[in-house]
Amino acid sequence: MVNAIADTSFLIDWIRYSKSKLIFKLFNVIYIPENVLNEIKSERALIWVSEGLEEGGLAIFPELPEISREALDLVVRSRRVPVRPVDYPEAFCLVVGRRLNFTVLTENGGAIALKNYDPEYFGVEVLRGIDIIYRLWRLNHLNSFKDELELYQRETKHIYSRKDLVKYSDYLK
Amino acid sequence: MPETSDVSDKLKEWIEYFKEARDIRRKYANWDFIRSQPPKLRIALEYYIETGDLFNAAKLAGMSMEEFNELRIKAGIPSIG
Amino acid sequence: MRVDADKIREWVEYFREAREIRRRYANWDFIRSQPLNVRIALEYYIETGDFRTAARIAGMGVDEFVDMAKDLAGIPSVG
Repeated sequence: MVNAIADTSFLIDWIRYSKSKLIFKLFNVIYIPENVLNEIKSERALIWVSEGLEEGGLAIFPELPEISREALDLVVRSRRVPVRPVDYPEAFCLVVGRRLNFTVLTENGGAIALKNYDPEYFGVEVLRGIDIIYRLWRLNHLNSFKDELELYQRETKHIYSRKDLVKYSDYLK
Repeated sequence: MPETSDVSDKLKEWIEYFKEARDIRRKYANWDFIRSQPPKLRIALEYYIETGDLFNAAKLAGMSMEEFNELRIKAGIPSIG
Repeated sequence: MRVDADKIREWVEYFREAREIRRRYANWDFIRSQPLNVRIALEYYIETGDFRTAARIAGMGVDEFVDMAKDLAGIPSVG
């Protein structure tokens, strides 16, 4: 199993999902950057994080100068392209993903787009909630991908657009 | 194999040690004080009671370790081991 | 950084669609009833999907803002 690193956009959606703890079956450890943890203030989110830390599924990723420098650079570069840019927390996760081979967990469109258009980040694995649910289903932790995705969207109030669903169209009939 | 059972016995001892430490933290904690704290600090203090992990508890609280240490003292939670 | 223009065009379209979804689901009565800074924050969020800046405008934590946007203003997170 690999390690993952999660940004704010992923966490604030994922923790609303009633089966959120299933994610720990997919990764060795899920890291939360300090800068992401600093953004989290709601009781629900903090309890989820503290339970994850207690149970060993989560760990905090510190601010490291080298990663931080590269992340700041990525923030600037992403603003040169006419699509949604990345902010520092997302950039930090992408840099960690590239340097340490961690899977990046995000729902941030800017980060997902960057992985798709920036050759330096082609090799980084970036997963969204829909991808996690698909993997859990493939590993038989969930009964129906279609039903579970509907449940996920309902509970998290995250809607996947047409383009997001195309990849899984065969499984959503 | 003697080596394997030795490690296993040592692990069992440590697990027991940490359980005892947690029970002591729970017993001495000032729960009225803890419950009166804002969510971020309350959850961090509860996390600290359960784990004894000052480093991550401080991160949860958004404080330095020193600041959080002062808070846990105010909350009556002993530092053990 | 050399980028593929076709890919960029696809992503521009993607973000446009995301904005349309947010606009469509938004509870405009609720939004209009909010204090000025919250209303502006919600409208900004609908247009851009940028929860971070929106949360700052509203004077709220990021997760608190997104929860409010979803649960009270009807705005889903998209893309």
